[in-house]
Amino acid sequence: MPTEAEAQHANVRNKGIFNNMTGFSTLITVTVLLLAWLAGFASRLFAVIRFESIIHEFDPWFNYRSTAYMVQHGFYNFLNWFDERAWYPLGRIVGGTVYPGLMITSGTIHWILHTLNIPVHIRDICVFLAPVFSGLTAIATYLLTSELWSRGAGLFAACFIAIIPGYSSRSVAGSYDNEGIAIFALQFTYYLWLKSIKSGSVFWSICTALSYFYMVSAWGGYVFIINLIPLHVFVLLIMGRFSQRLFVSYTVFYIIGLLLSMQIPFVGFQPIRTSEHMAASGVFALLMAIGALKYLHSLNPKRQWKQLLILGGLVAAGTVFLAVVLLTYMGVIAPWSGRFYSLWDTGYAKIHIPIIASVSEHQPTTWSSFFFDLHVLVCTFPVGLWYCIKNVNDERVFVALYAISAVYFAGVMVRLMLTLTPVVCVLAGIAFSILLDLVLKEDEMQIAPVETEDSKNLYDKAGKLKKRTHEPAPVDSGLGMNVRSGTLIAFMILLMLFSVHCTWATSNAYSSPSIVLASYGNDGSRKILDDFREAYGWLSQNTAEDARIMSWWDYGYQIAGMGNRTTLVDNNTWNNSHIALVGKAMASNESAAYDIMTMLDVDYVLVIFGGAIGYSGDDINKFIWMVRIAEGEHPKDIHEADYFTERGEYRIDSEASKTMLNCLMYKLSYYRYDSGGSPAGYDRTRGSLPGNRGFQLTYLEEAYTTEHWLVRIYRVKKPDEFNRPRLPLSKRKIVTSNNLSKKTSKRRKGLIKNKPTLVKGKKVTKLE
Amino acid sequence: MIPAMAKIQFCVLFVLYIVIKCDSVNVDTISSDIKIKNVDRSIDISSQLVKITSKVTLENTGKVPVKTFLLAVEGTAKNNLAFIGAKDSSNKDLRLVETTVKGYDQVKFWRVELKDTINAGSTVVITTESVYTKALQPFPTAITQQEDQLVKYNGNLYFYSPYNVASQKTNVIINTKSVESFTKVKPFSQQDGTIVYGTYANIAPFSEKELNVHYKNNSPFLTVTRLERLIEVSHWGNIAVEEIIEIEHTGAKLKGPFSRYDYQQDHHSGPASVRSYKTLLPASASDVYYRDTNGNISTSNMKVKKDSVELDLRPRYPLFGGWRSHYTLGYNVPSYEYLYHSGNEYLLKMRAVDHVFDDMQIDELVTKVILPEGSTSIKVNFPFPVTRLPDSLHYTYLDTKGRPVISFTKKNVVENHIQDFQIRYTFPRLLMFQEPLLVVGFLYTLFLCVIIYVRLDFSIHKPEHPHKD
Repeated sequence: MPTEAEAQHANVRNKGIFNNMTGFSTLITVTVLLLAWLAGFASRLFAVIRFESIIHEFDPWFNYRSTAYMVQHGFYNFLNWFDERAWYPLGRIVGGTVYPGLMITSGTIHWILHTLNIPVHIRDICVFLAPVFSGLTAIATYLLTSELWSRGAGLFAACFIAIIPGYSSRSVAGSYDNEGIAIFALQFTYYLWLKSIKSGSVFWSICTALSYFYMVSAWGGYVFIINLIPLHVFVLLIMGRFSQRLFVSYTVFYIIGLLLSMQIPFVGFQPIRTSEHMAASGVFALLMAIGALKYLHSLNPKRQWKQLLILGGLVAAGTVFLAVVLLTYMGVIAPWSGRFYSLWDTGYAKIHIPIIASVSEHQPTTWSSFFFDLHVLVCTFPVGLWYCIKNVNDERVFVALYAISAVYFAGVMVRLMLTLTPVVCVLAGIAFSILLDLVLKEDEMQIAPVETEDSKNLYDKAGKLKKRTHEPAPVDSGLGMNVRSGTLIAFMILLMLFSVHCTWATSNAYSSPSIVLASYGNDGSRKILDDFREAYGWLSQNTAEDARIMSWWDYGYQIAGMGNRTTLVDNNTWNNSHIALVGKAMASNESAAYDIMTMLDVDYVLVIFGGAIGYSGDDINKFIWMVRIAEGEHPKDIHEADYFTERGEYRIDSEASKTMLNCLMYKLSYYRYDSGGSPAGYDRTRGSLPGNRGFQLTYLEEAYTTEHWLVRIYRVKKPDEFNRPRLPLSKRKIVTSNNLSKKTSKRRKGLIKNKPTLVKGKKVTKLE
Repeated sequence: MIPAMAKIQFCVLFVLYIVIKCDSVNVDTISSDIKIKNVDRSIDISSQLVKITSKVTLENTGKVPVKTFLLAVEGTAKNNLAFIGAKDSSNKDLRLVETTVKGYDQVKFWRVELKDTINAGSTVVITTESVYTKALQPFPTAITQQEDQLVKYNGNLYFYSPYNVASQKTNVIINTKSVESFTKVKPFSQQDGTIVYGTYANIAPFSEKELNVHYKNNSPFLTVTRLERLIEVSHWGNIAVEEIIEIEHTGAKLKGPFSRYDYQQDHHSGPASVRSYKTLLPASASDVYYRDTNGNISTSNMKVKKDSVELDLRPRYPLFGGWRSHYTLGYNVPSYEYLYHSGNEYLLKMRAVDHVFDDMQIDELVTKVILPEGSTSIKVNFPFPVTRLPDSLHYTYLDTKGRPVISFTKKNVVENHIQDFQIRYTFPRLLMFQEPLLVVGFLYTLFLCVIIYVRLDFSIHKPEHPHKD
């Protein structure tokens, strides 16, 4: 449906531009967009084809679980949902701590399909939501780019974004996460913003605000929009590009967007109370002041008024800035939260919030990952940026700011590569379009002038531009035939390599469900390691309904989603001290851990142990972060240095430190572990033999271990199970002594003689 | 639609009424003419079920030919009885009717209707078969991972019958040499895997004597606690079958820890646990899936054999005593094998329950049959007494008024219940085109709307340049 709407939209626009070939160009546009959609959808299905239609990784399991809850219980019950299965004993108010856009989107799709009697399971909707939305993202990118440059550039950009690994990394089938729909919302909001700033119409501004509202409901990254748009406005003001269009579109967008964004329970009053949102209000106030001054200026357009205008503007800007600073100082406005602060000061998280630093996707980006995620586009997008700056107008200022800020953020955190990807596609699309214009111009000599002439109408009417748009024409006409075809072939090869790389990267790096692992034998046969689901299935079927499972927070969502059991901590890391407590339990010795576990009513402990199959993402490798987080809250009990050898190495073999060898995590990982490589009990992940072996557990007992030892579940014993002499036989005899009078069994009389052992006798009386 | 429903309801009520009536009215008397000359009984307790097969030689000592005789089941065992049947010498099934006898309220009786009468003085050989579930008690009730499972059988040493039995012999098949203890009533002998009791002569009617066997039984003690079988009939040539199965190991419970190390160390570890089992599907089954709420269960193998499809199903984890599991198994079969028709009249003949594993026991079976939309005058014929559940409607792709669903339930089901039920219904064949036409009509309307919309001009403000096409 959106394609049809899009086709019509293009159709209407086309009539003005290519009078004679409306149908043809519309057909091409629609076909290319449709193919981009299909290619994007298809390239995201590797995981489904290789494995099955299943929710991936960690966070998607929570999203899936809450979507299923919403579908089952209705939207209002979902908003009021208090999840007692998480963060035991605190619980979690899900409705108020979640961006509901994702759930609402798939819930709506589910509802529509079921009213039409199409019984698609909600899991399949969740699995395929992100690939479907990738097509919408491609269309939004097309619209954005054709707003910025031309329709040809738009088609390039749409094709790029459909398959680029930087985006497909977050939107393969099964990765049911906020980002999957948020990138569409982001691109669409930007498109509408450019549309509204170009037309100055209230209609488009309201559309921008609505799209922004969807973005707010979908992803925390909406902060990027609400800072980038004011930045755009601010830069335009500095450039002296103030206009009524700008005034109308920004004020309308800001007011409506602000009101709408506050409707999301999780966001609440943040837009007027936190520093992250203050740029928007500040720019709004500034724009009002400048608008007022401009109005005054228009009443009496004299020279001294102009100076007053500039002065007034500066004073207004200063006042606004001071007001924000003052309010922050007074505590009315919350200062930057840690997560945002860590964007400016990259070392901040490591020191103050280890829980953020512990997540691998919050690490700074390496150069290679830029190339891996963007491939040739990372080299070509500066060309597009240069052209945009060269032929600057209101919209192109925006895309330049977008590109610069996104490059910065992507450099700070791997995760924010995602915000860079769309703008790279847009700018690379522009670059490729210009290039093709240059080398293919010869055949279209008659049409080309028409195009440039018409494109004048498209662009801003700033006077300088006219000359520049005409400039390329004489330059490129000097290119020789061979140069043209050579360039063309070279760039076609580049594009081909790009698409090969995209498919390869998506298939190999981003299409692993990570809850099902596959290993390949020498003969190419595939062996599936399904240990996670084995363990969660076991939990869900063979433990008490209200059993509480302690594990590191990474597995909280999965335990709740697949095992349907209560967890202590999960991936919604909202309570650092609770996580630190779990980390402390894992890092303490058995008896100290037992005290914590009884305090938290833990029934089972779950650890991930990859030593048997060489799985590197296991708990022992994450353990140092548990120690760090625990140390942050309990500096008296846990010291990071204790877990390293004297030379500062992190190891598990016989040279490891005493504390390390006796902590709960170590013991639970290596308890009765004798499988693995050639020396029995060899740890294949760490490549060494564990230093502490053959020990016994006093307070826990092995409840279940999966086939490849990946997940180990232990039951926490009740006090009466270990707090007595280790003589289960004698215990049994004493119990039967009660029945002795009834049964008159002669054999058992002898047992009474054993009774004089007074120590044991005392405990019996206690029990009875 | 409504009169048809009423008709069905009436039919059901009528059938129920008859069944109830039969139950309450059937009163038989024990004929003194019939004597049992010989009983050759074998009690197979090597699996989780108790399967008793008795070869009974009946003699008519009276003057009048006899058409029927009675089978009896002890009052203590009747709740465990899952199946009872009788066959004559030519291996034909005989009809059994539940009945009662005055003065024996605790005892359960069946009247067996013979095909040919027994003339005065002549004999006839009948084979009776009965299957009991949950008659074997694990003792001890909880064992550790490495221990063998010991169970106790508690039965009747004599063939329980309302007639005098002249001579009888009982084989108890246990398929193991390790017997802890067993009832010793002479004459008896213990050979490998079997205990033979008898011959006992002249046992009075309704005699009971305790027979105890306490022995090792490591065969899988798996109970399907609930099986929901969905059969969806499509007239486009396909019947989809889906079974939602909840399974539990009902043997001796696992005591203490489960150690993967011990379990991996040698293959005989955890002798009482169930690693996998085999399910047999119809030979034409295709597109088989085996999954649970967390997705596909990757540990399964399928072997296509000549007369069946053999599925080697491994639950996600080995099942120890007290552990549970659940899964969904589905497949498609072509409809020409099960659906017959003449004109608009259709007959569906399918199994009410299918094989889950050998010697299975199912606590509760619910079978639902989804017929095509528009089926009317539905008549159902069951091979064994079941409880019919209220009919409902099911909506799926392109349905407008819903598909009729026939469902029935039965408790305590074993392999002997794998029998066909029959559903007759009327379906106007033209209705098959309703769904394709619906799609065509929808697309047609959609395109028409677009065509009209494109030609309309809703703009308030006329564009400056003239409209060209």
